[in-house]
Amino acid sequence: MGHSDGEHELEGDGLSAEDSSWSDGGWSEDDDEESLSFEGSGSGSGSGSDSDEAAAAEESDSSEDEVAPRNTVGDVPLEWYKDEEHIGYDIDGRKIKKRDREGRIEVYLKNADDAKNWRKIYDEYNDEEVQITKEEAKIISRLLKGKTPHANVDPYPDYVDWFEYEDKGHPLSSAPEPKRRFVPSKWEQKKVVKLVRAIRNGWIKLDKPKEESNLYLLWGDETDTADNKRQGLSYIPAPKPNLPGHEESYNPSVEYIPTQEEIDSYQLMYEEDRPKFIPKRFESLRSVPAYEKALREGFDRCLDLYLCPRTRKKRINIDPESLKPKLPSKKDLRPYPKTCYLEFKGHTSPVTSISVETTGQWLASGSRDGTIRVWEVETGRCLKVWNVGGDVRHIAWNPSPDRPILAAIVGHDLLLINAEVGCEEVQMRAKELLKICEMAPQDDTDGKKPAVRWMKHEKFDGITLIHHKAVSNVDWHFKGDYFTTVVPSGDTRAVLLHQLTKKHSHHPFRKLPGLPVAATFHPSQKMFFVATKKFVRVYDLQKAQLVKKLESGLREISSISIHPGGDNVIVGSKDGKLCWFDTDLSTRPYKTLKIHSKDITNVTFHRKYPLFASSSEDCTAYVCHGMVYSDLNQNPLIVPLEILRGHSSSDGRGVLDCKFHPKQPWLFTAGADSVIRLYCD
Amino acid sequence: MPKHYRPAGKKKEGNAAKYITRTKAVNYLQVSLAIFRKLCILKGVFPRQPKKKVEGNHKTYYHMKDIAFIAHDPLIEKFRQIKVHRKKVKKAIAKKNRDLADRLLNRPPTYKLDKLVLERYPTFVDALRDLDDCLTMVHLFAALPAVDGERVEVKRIHNCRRLSHEWQAYISRTHSLRKTFISVKGIYYQAEVQGQKITWLTPHALQQVLTDDVDFNVMLSFLEFYETLLGFVNFKLYHSINVNYPPILDPRLEALAAELYALCRYMATGSGRVIGNSESGGAIKEKEDENNKASSKADESELRLAQLQHQLPANEPGALMHLVEESTAVDTDDDETKECKSLFKNLKFYLSREVPRESLLFIIPAFGGTVSWEGEGAPFNEVDEDITHQIVDRPTQSHVFLSREYVQPQWVFDCVNARIILPTEGYLVGRVPPPHLSPFVDNDAEGYVPEYAETIKRLQAAARNEILPLPGDEDLDNSLVAAMMDRTESNEAAEKKKKLEMLEKQYHDELKMEIDGVTFSNLSNKKADKSPDTMDKDDTKSYHEEDEKNQAEKDSADISTALMSRKKLGLYKAIEIGKERKRDKVELLKKRKKNAESSASAKRR
Repeated sequence: MGHSDGEHELEGDGLSAEDSSWSDGGWSEDDDEESLSFEGSGSGSGSGSDSDEAAAAEESDSSEDEVAPRNTVGDVPLEWYKDEEHIGYDIDGRKIKKRDREGRIEVYLKNADDAKNWRKIYDEYNDEEVQITKEEAKIISRLLKGKTPHANVDPYPDYVDWFEYEDKGHPLSSAPEPKRRFVPSKWEQKKVVKLVRAIRNGWIKLDKPKEESNLYLLWGDETDTADNKRQGLSYIPAPKPNLPGHEESYNPSVEYIPTQEEIDSYQLMYEEDRPKFIPKRFESLRSVPAYEKALREGFDRCLDLYLCPRTRKKRINIDPESLKPKLPSKKDLRPYPKTCYLEFKGHTSPVTSISVETTGQWLASGSRDGTIRVWEVETGRCLKVWNVGGDVRHIAWNPSPDRPILAAIVGHDLLLINAEVGCEEVQMRAKELLKICEMAPQDDTDGKKPAVRWMKHEKFDGITLIHHKAVSNVDWHFKGDYFTTVVPSGDTRAVLLHQLTKKHSHHPFRKLPGLPVAATFHPSQKMFFVATKKFVRVYDLQKAQLVKKLESGLREISSISIHPGGDNVIVGSKDGKLCWFDTDLSTRPYKTLKIHSKDITNVTFHRKYPLFASSSEDCTAYVCHGMVYSDLNQNPLIVPLEILRGHSSSDGRGVLDCKFHPKQPWLFTAGADSVIRLYCD
Repeated sequence: MPKHYRPAGKKKEGNAAKYITRTKAVNYLQVSLAIFRKLCILKGVFPRQPKKKVEGNHKTYYHMKDIAFIAHDPLIEKFRQIKVHRKKVKKAIAKKNRDLADRLLNRPPTYKLDKLVLERYPTFVDALRDLDDCLTMVHLFAALPAVDGERVEVKRIHNCRRLSHEWQAYISRTHSLRKTFISVKGIYYQAEVQGQKITWLTPHALQQVLTDDVDFNVMLSFLEFYETLLGFVNFKLYHSINVNYPPILDPRLEALAAELYALCRYMATGSGRVIGNSESGGAIKEKEDENNKASSKADESELRLAQLQHQLPANEPGALMHLVEESTAVDTDDDETKECKSLFKNLKFYLSREVPRESLLFIIPAFGGTVSWEGEGAPFNEVDEDITHQIVDRPTQSHVFLSREYVQPQWVFDCVNARIILPTEGYLVGRVPPPHLSPFVDNDAEGYVPEYAETIKRLQAAARNEILPLPGDEDLDNSLVAAMMDRTESNEAAEKKKKLEMLEKQYHDELKMEIDGVTFSNLSNKKADKSPDTMDKDDTKSYHEEDEKNQAEKDSADISTALMSRKKLGLYKAIEIGKERKRDKVELLKKRKKNAESSASAKRR
């Protein structure tokens, strides 16, 4: 009954504030009951009731405007008292202490507990909470709505016409009311009929359509295979996205995480090469954040699916070794030069050219240091040295065994000298050949400078063929009487033929398209090969006409060699390619070997063995097996055999010349490092 | 005469007739580009690569047949209707005809994609084969925020969630999950359904941000098709295991966002349902099935029954029968499924609050484990005595039950990938777990085997040895675990022993030297003096030899390439480059590993 006890006190207060509109309705009824119970229960007071009483007192206070404010500071800015402990002074001049501030939580709780809390307003001036009465709340809400504060004010009172006048009962227009005001509208009726019909026929549906799930067993019976074929074009399924590797793990092993330097270095890479995903390590699963590119990647995948052209590509998964052609084993193709057996040292500058004597006993070499040397092949002994005083560009030994004569291009011109090897008789004959009667039969009368003048060379007892322009190449006919020289810049007189016995020269071509690079004789027939930069032309010397034109497809031919059989030609080029022509087969290369990384300086066939070699500026020489079959149906067999190394580069030049030994499977190479090497099997 | 000259009046031939550029295709179909895009996406039409690009190199070409295929689809007409409808609505609104506008808005033209699905995937296997993208997309959208006013409708996101859960429930129920992988991008799963390997990615269960750099129209077009496709696929799959398809879920569990669990329970009950029960019984059975699935073994049916009764006030006795029947029924699984099914058999997991619940609720039952979680609706709570593993992901665990092991979530994923119960030491609470390796990588083909992969391989071998002699043993798992623990321990012990011996030997040697009177500095000097010279000599010599050898090898390789045709040579070189790159990558990994090790050892010192 503690509660009812409390109510007793409240009743007492309620009486004092009878006029307050607050305690109406339920309250007043309560009051009555309480008063009854008070009578029944007798005396008693609870501590809980005190607060109620205080609240009631406050309410009654606030509701009455007449109650003077307790604070007497007057109309001063209240922030003056902000930092003070009091808010002002009461009527007796005593300080009014500030109340304790309520915490937010308390405010919140109060809000939650007390449904009427919204009516409470904090009065800053008196530092107290004031509860608004119902009436006041009503007034406020009316004000907020823009109405008059009091409900009993009528904003629209009936108009009272204070002034009376005569004809006040007339309308503005005196026209009679039209009929349509009294008859139902025809158009409206039509519209209604239309709508009714539309509704009846189901054209207009007023209720929202139901959403039914439309899933069913789509792939029901799959036994009928005819139905199961996809219509239209063949379907190319999109490739599946790549599966994640170890590095994409949230916790990859340490080796998958790039160092900071590596990450920095990615910035220097091209955008396309840059790794899109940088592995990162998280200590635990809870620390893994959301992947911010998830949506973007999903979108990219969508784009790939509908924008990328799809084609079927056969992905070959083959062993690279199986791509290599099946070649016969090297053992079966022996002998061929393999290892360096001898080094001929003596020159002091790059050895530009070498030539082996027909018997294979002697080797002649020409070098930039202005010397021609003759070496004994077997021993490597330098037999003879001519100091010719000028670069030796090219050197060729007369192929006839009884004419030990060397043709060398020294500076601009050709020099024929006696090699001074062999027996007395042979040497005598050579001397005979190299004798020249001093005369000028070559005096051409057309006023032009003669292409060649045969002059005696006093110093070495030889002959100098003074050309009108620089000579680059010399080659002997296999019989040893004729030889040819090439003057690249000689225009119509670029290729010259000389006869040794008659000391006669002439230029067989009236015009020659292209810049000649090399010219050579057929090894057994009366044919003549001229290599220009892109083509090789084959002439018949007897009929003096063009027989064939071989198209190399190379950038710039540098050297040419004819197979001893005469039907096959190899050509080396300045882009490191070697072309093999089978002239019977076609005028295009039968095979092109891209073997050297730099210019090919010389190519050569072996006279007896099925071998050919090429030397190049990249300091290597290739030895290849090149078997030509007598059966025309069988293509030549080409097998690269060996890469010969050993020369070192000087001035960016490597191996300058290579020649086979005429009888043995040996290869001589002349290097820019001024050494000649002999490779044997 | 120009090369492509065609006399007037002569029809186009070849590539000019077969292929059409995109602009021309759009004009041909008389639709807007946006609708054309949508049509292409829905019909699965993609550009082709003609042999000869007649109209120019930088254009997209479509096959004429594809375009005709689109042109004959009723969908194109439907899209036109939608366009017209939109115009009508706009007009009604502009004329302030609110009534008409509402009426129109109420019934927009709709279309169905079921025929398209069947057209694109005539057989079910075709659909499964192409399901990867579909699943990834649906799971991605399921993770997007379901907020009104965003660019994606809330309804669709909820639909995606539902579909993804249905799919996961099926996979989990049939134990066809094979591989899992937590990556930075999310969690990858690979399942095998009807012989098809299906891989999908689910984002981490964190709030995704909608970025502005994507075109949602395109993505939503894709999603539209994928939703339909996955719906039908789910239908078929559920049908194949005798479960009613649009599953009716326990609203309580659904409200708790434990949809997956609800679904599992549904399936566990639902499987018996088709055999002959009334309509109303369906839901109940479904629920029973869920129960079944959750615990997945007959011997645990007691527990399940308890759950069942607890969850289903309107239970009927027939349901229990089904339950038992169900648990003994399916025995047609292949070996791998069996293996997967029994991986976590007899293990009971409890998930703490902070672990990714959805993923683990999916994985653990898929491998035969029983799982519960912290929160409402859980089948059992933390104090359950039978719990063998508690999955936690926090720095420390305050209250510890001795009867169970506290492991990090990664342990579950690693176990699943290795198909054995791994020792838990590395994964205990507060430790940095061992590296998480991708199960999708063929380490041997890659040429580099991470250290932990080797460890796992060894454990697997040990497990196999242990298993063989005792097949079908009851406490097989336990013995397995024990055996593995033994194995690892013994290995470690052996290593330790070796190390000790080494140290001892070194110590003895030094002692001897000391006795001989060589001071340490002397010794080191001497060593230093001696070593560089000898090293140098040896080095140079061996270097030369090696060089020559390498050169010879290289030469022999070069020689055989000299005769290759240009095409083959290109191919050969490409292969070589690929190999080289691979080798470089492995080298880099090895280098990093070495660096890491050395730095770690330096730190230790």
